[in-house]
Amino acid sequence: MSRAEKLTDQILERIKGKDVKVKREDILRRMKLLIEEFKVPESEAVRTIMNYLVREYGIPREELFDRDSPLVKIADISKVNQWVSLKAKVVQLWDSNSPNVSQVGLIGDETGIVKFVVWAKASQPEVEEGKSYIFRNVVTDSFQGRMQINVTRTSRIEEIDEDIQLPPREIEVVGSMVAIQQNSGLVKRCNECGRVLNKGVCHQHGKVEGYDDLRIKAVIDDGENVYEIILNEENIRELTGIGLEDALKIAHETLDRNAVLLELKNMLLGRYFRVKGLRGGRYLLVKEISVHKPKADDFNEILEALA
Amino acid sequence: MRRREVAKRVFAYELLRSTHQIESEGLRYVLTPTGERVNRIFSVAVLLDKEEIGADTNNWRLRLADPTGTFFATVGKFQPEALETINEMNVPELVAIVGKPRVFEGVSRKLISIRPENIVAVDLSVRDYWVLETARRTLERIEAMEKREGEDVELAWTVYDPDLNEYRDMVKKALLTVKEDVEIMEKLEEPPREDEPEEEFDFEEFEFEEEEFDLTDLLED
Ligand SMILES: [Zn+2]
Repeated sequence: MSRAEKLTDQILERIKGKDVKVKREDILRRMKLLIEEFKVPESEAVRTIMNYLVREYGIPREELFDRDSPLVKIADISKVNQWVSLKAKVVQLWDSNSPNVSQVGLIGDETGIVKFVVWAKASQPEVEEGKSYIFRNVVTDSFQGRMQINVTRTSRIEEIDEDIQLPPREIEVVGSMVAIQQNSGLVKRCNECGRVLNKGVCHQHGKVEGYDDLRIKAVIDDGENVYEIILNEENIRELTGIGLEDALKIAHETLDRNAVLLELKNMLLGRYFRVKGLRGGRYLLVKEISVHKPKADDFNEILEALA
Repeated sequence: MRRREVAKRVFAYELLRSTHQIESEGLRYVLTPTGERVNRIFSVAVLLDKEEIGADTNNWRLRLADPTGTFFATVGKFQPEALETINEMNVPELVAIVGKPRVFEGVSRKLISIRPENIVAVDLSVRDYWVLETARRTLERIEAMEKREGEDVELAWTVYDPDLNEYRDMVKKALLTVKEDVEIMEKLEEPPREDEPEEEFDFEEFEFEEEEFDLTDLLED
């Protein structure tokens, strides 16, 4: 049996017992055309045909697609182009610099954490950090050697009243703050979605007034690894004594919002910090951060090793 | 996006002896005598001197020293963040510096210099921890050299054939230089012991004319 025949039968299997008359030849012809002639990826071909079935035969979309994507655990995701459903918590969102992406971040369940991308074309509702959802009918993908989840038009995101536990990945690092990114300091966020505005413009909501916020995106480097961290206003006030009010005052007095970033850089760059947090992808989610100082005993330890 | 390169910890003494460059996947690395592959460096040193290379060029040559030696850095318009702080900074000043090492041909030998990405004034505890950390990393590398572990280690033996004791001495010297400071700081920060006498109350401040406060009425009864 050819691949096209096999996939056709799999689709027909799905609607068996339903009160619809679907011609096998009709499906098979389309399948062959897509796979053999146009060389469309199998998952795309299946999806296209299922959309066709919904449209032409009036089969309820949920029935077709729900059955299409089994509920799996993040740790079990290993192949690309698999349609799956996940029950997961949004671990972190970060700013995307692509207009094609509406949201990007990490989601996790008790088995692992994975990057997810919500494409702008998918027109999905926004998810929030810390909330749990069922991500139905999402497709697995790989980017730079790592698995990721794509949320597309056929996906459905439903919030669930359940707190999905994340795997214990708390780590503690002592490292130097070697860089602070340019979009740090006194920033404006979108009133609608909270994302950081770029010259007064939100990727999603266009030109908005926005509200002031203080944040730092920084790199902690321990000589072996680099960790990107995000400090919120509370973290910044604790480390520098500069809160949002003070930042606004600095900006007002100097007539320069960038003066805040300069001041924060002078106070934080090059210093050592002990950071406790969750490692998820390239980010370290800060739970605690404090200035780190050496102890005399540490010196003796190495001196002994040298003797 | 390419993964950000880690900033390696290397003492000036070792840095100055690093002359071999490696090109790999479009990135330039300096190989050090103990087998560290460095694309980016993090150092804490005293900025001894800044000198403009030519009048009004805004290109600066910096002379820096850690407890093991003196090295150079150059800052120009391609290092805007570092340039901004360097323009404001007075010498001498203790600084933390993140930058890229570059080897170039001098008149008689190869020289190494750092191009700082950023440079910022810091306090002594940063220097102390940096020395500790750099000592730890260097010692690990010395041990890897002894065990002949890894490709870069083999290459370092071939290129430099280093005397490892020289590097052990360097580590020891650096540690001893700052250890005393750390001990003094610890003593200063210790909480006062309980058996120490409490500060005496200063009654002088409460001198008053007795006549004004005749409390005898209150004491009756
Ligand atoms: Zn918005």
